[in-house]
Amino acid sequence: MVDNLPTLPLTIISGYLGAGKTTLVNHLLRNANGRRLMVLVNDFGELPIDADLIESEEGDTLNLSNGCACCSMGGDLFNALVDALDRTPRPDHLLIEASGVADPARIANIARAEPDLSLDAIISLADAETIIHMINDKQVGETVHHQLVTSDLILLNKLDLVDESDRMKLVEQMEKKAPNAKIIETEFSQIPIDMAVGMDTPDKSRSEEQISTGSHHGPYVKWSKIFQNRLSKVSLEKAIDQLGNNILRLKGIVFFTDSDVPHIVQCVGSRCTITPIQQPDMSNEPHSRLVAIGLKDKLDVEMLDNIFELCHINK
Amino acid sequence: MSITVFQAKKIITMNSNCPEATHVAVREGKILAVGHFDEMAGWLDQDEHRLDTTFAEKIILPGFVEGHAHLLAGGMWKYLYVGFHDRIDPDGKLWPGAVTIEDVLERIRQLDSTLPAGEPLIAWGFDPIFLMDRRPDKTDFDEVSSIRPIVIMHSNFHVMTVNSPTLELAQYNVDSDVDGIAKTDNGEPNGELQEMAAMFPVMRRLGIDFRELGRTQEAVEAFGRVCNRVGVTTATDLINDLDDEAITDLKTFTGRKDYPIRLVPMLNALSQTAAETAKRAVELQAMSTDKLRVGGVKLLTDGSIQAFTARLRWPGYYNGAPNGIWNIAPEQLQTLIDLLNQNSVAMHIHVNGDEAVEVALDAIEFALTNHPSPDHRITLQHCQMADRSQYRRMKKLGVCVNLFSNHIYYFGDQHAAITIGPDRAARMDGCRTALDHGIPLAVHSDAPVTPMGPLTCAWAGANRLTASGTVLGTPECISVQEALHAITLGPAYTLKMDGKVGSIEVGKWADFAVLEDDPTNVDRQTLKDIGIWGTVLGGIIHKIPTE
Repeated sequence: MVDNLPTLPLTIISGYLGAGKTTLVNHLLRNANGRRLMVLVNDFGELPIDADLIESEEGDTLNLSNGCACCSMGGDLFNALVDALDRTPRPDHLLIEASGVADPARIANIARAEPDLSLDAIISLADAETIIHMINDKQVGETVHHQLVTSDLILLNKLDLVDESDRMKLVEQMEKKAPNAKIIETEFSQIPIDMAVGMDTPDKSRSEEQISTGSHHGPYVKWSKIFQNRLSKVSLEKAIDQLGNNILRLKGIVFFTDSDVPHIVQCVGSRCTITPIQQPDMSNEPHSRLVAIGLKDKLDVEMLDNIFELCHINK
Repeated sequence: MSITVFQAKKIITMNSNCPEATHVAVREGKILAVGHFDEMAGWLDQDEHRLDTTFAEKIILPGFVEGHAHLLAGGMWKYLYVGFHDRIDPDGKLWPGAVTIEDVLERIRQLDSTLPAGEPLIAWGFDPIFLMDRRPDKTDFDEVSSIRPIVIMHSNFHVMTVNSPTLELAQYNVDSDVDGIAKTDNGEPNGELQEMAAMFPVMRRLGIDFRELGRTQEAVEAFGRVCNRVGVTTATDLINDLDDEAITDLKTFTGRKDYPIRLVPMLNALSQTAAETAKRAVELQAMSTDKLRVGGVKLLTDGSIQAFTARLRWPGYYNGAPNGIWNIAPEQLQTLIDLLNQNSVAMHIHVNGDEAVEVALDAIEFALTNHPSPDHRITLQHCQMADRSQYRRMKKLGVCVNLFSNHIYYFGDQHAAITIGPDRAARMDGCRTALDHGIPLAVHSDAPVTPMGPLTCAWAGANRLTASGTVLGTPECISVQEALHAITLGPAYTLKMDGKVGSIEVGKWADFAVLEDDPTNVDRQTLKDIGIWGTVLGGIIHKIPTE
């Protein structure tokens, strides 16, 4: 039951009814690009799978032709998580579509506590048309607000239904309501899969590529870099700090000057963690690799190059 | 078919046409006649019959109906009980309350000395707030064993205290930075793990699974014995997955002649979509047997008052705690209730706080307006904080209540002092208000949350004494007769089983509680102390086994 498999990263998809959670899940499953995603759907949620993706069905679980799976939690998060962890082969990434009134922080806490899970991200969807109204609702307002406040990324969704002139004001309002979350403007829950489940660390020296999402709103940009020499931890932390609102996600394997073991750097929204790798593969050269993703109008590739160059210590 | 005539010192029938009797005749498991032996001659002439004088010195009441309990009340006894209050296990052993830390440790030491090496030691019912001197931590349990994992579940099931081997198993250490892993001053986990997240790694590694714990044959049988000991002949399991496998198992377990109760498990309405819930409930309606009654569903709206997760209206919690949680969004609840009502599915709706009551009543009003259903018997379960205006709405909507009267005793002091304050605590579980408004009333234990015992529930409703001995809201007290109704016909009505159980009347199932004393003739303060001899189910005697 408990073994030495790599930890299973967990992304929580939160948001009130009708914000676009099911659409997002379907979009991710359809565009999994070879990753074996496992999705747990909340208590009374429909399994959101388009029929053409389904290969087989066993009990509450639908197996998809692309290696992904989707399962109803049946009101029992405990057993659903135990089953997901015991599944062989273990999925590459676990997603939980929480119920409209669930507290994503409580679910995230399980991933923090369970050694075989790791918290990847809390993503909340907000229906751009109704979110301000919902935050002020007498019965569910504080629940909805709390979901936003505890999120790493907020998809301000269904923006196609909002007048261009109101959008800026809405984004500002949302920034005030959830100051620690990064807000991404979306339509039809369309985001690159990397935004939801994280990126693979790069294996080529420098790349800059457009990621097309089918949305005409702010195409995303991806940056990556390989460092031949070790980095200073303090400088890296400073660099990440300096980036502030400009990146949505950052990931990397980093070799520091003052440590023998490599570390994993992981930033989602404004939450960053730097943790030592438990069983590192030391056979490779100690080359640090970083990859970042952000909105094109906010992420300046040259700036990133410059900022991270400062971490580079020539011994 | 032969007839058995049971003779009793007194039969309290709960039927106003014939409130008292001395004899009850039973044929084919059903009540053939009630009254005096002489009045039964017409029947006795037709068939061979037998006079059974086993109960000649006993008092017979209708078998008690527990309208809100859980099979876990049987299953929990797989683990060691270390609670503050006395409890009797399914086999009749009294587990006196462990009132000091030393009591708790001694009990754990004893079990540790008999358990095979490597097997984890798991206990339940722990209530450190009552153990005055200090809060025990891992060091206490490390002294019992520094090798064997020890897990002490608290009575609320939301917290556990574990020893160091268990912490190692979960890989908790100085670096663990998770809400719910309590730490010592020097930053090490102290052994207390709060809420599901912090408990998850421990439960996963030691295979502690509450759902499974209520499903086993052992649990179902133990639950039957728990019921039998307190005079219950019909009991609910108020949340169950009720998949096909569970139905097959439950039919087998309950179908045995020696199984002493009729079990009424309710489908969890929140574990699938509304449409699937409605479909399954309708399927289940066709699967009932005499001893397994299925087709009803349980809906969960908010949490609990003592955990500050109940949804309260203004002015909220007395200690300023933030408002509680929803298990389902109000608009989803409305859709669900509407659909279930259209499919004539019996609904039992968990509501603790008064905002949850309001949301449930809004949804019920919507559903009943949309699709009138004259005999729906929708029951609000717990419904602890409803005010009089909400009771007036319940009356208008034909809603029943099953109030958590035991809370007054077990948690009443805390409710007055901490959770909702003295004024609203005084109106909690307002049995008098419910009856004054003509609302069908039941009272319950929610076992294993509080120990099963309908006479205790009745006592709590009639006396409203708290654990500290104060009376919480005298105006809400009900009479003994009314309280007895609330543990017999009252809950039978909420389960739509009042045509079959809940009173001793011709044509009903011959289900009796056999008592040592007459509850209508004792000091109402001693109602809960009346001895129980056993029960009769469908004419079959189930004496409580003695050692």
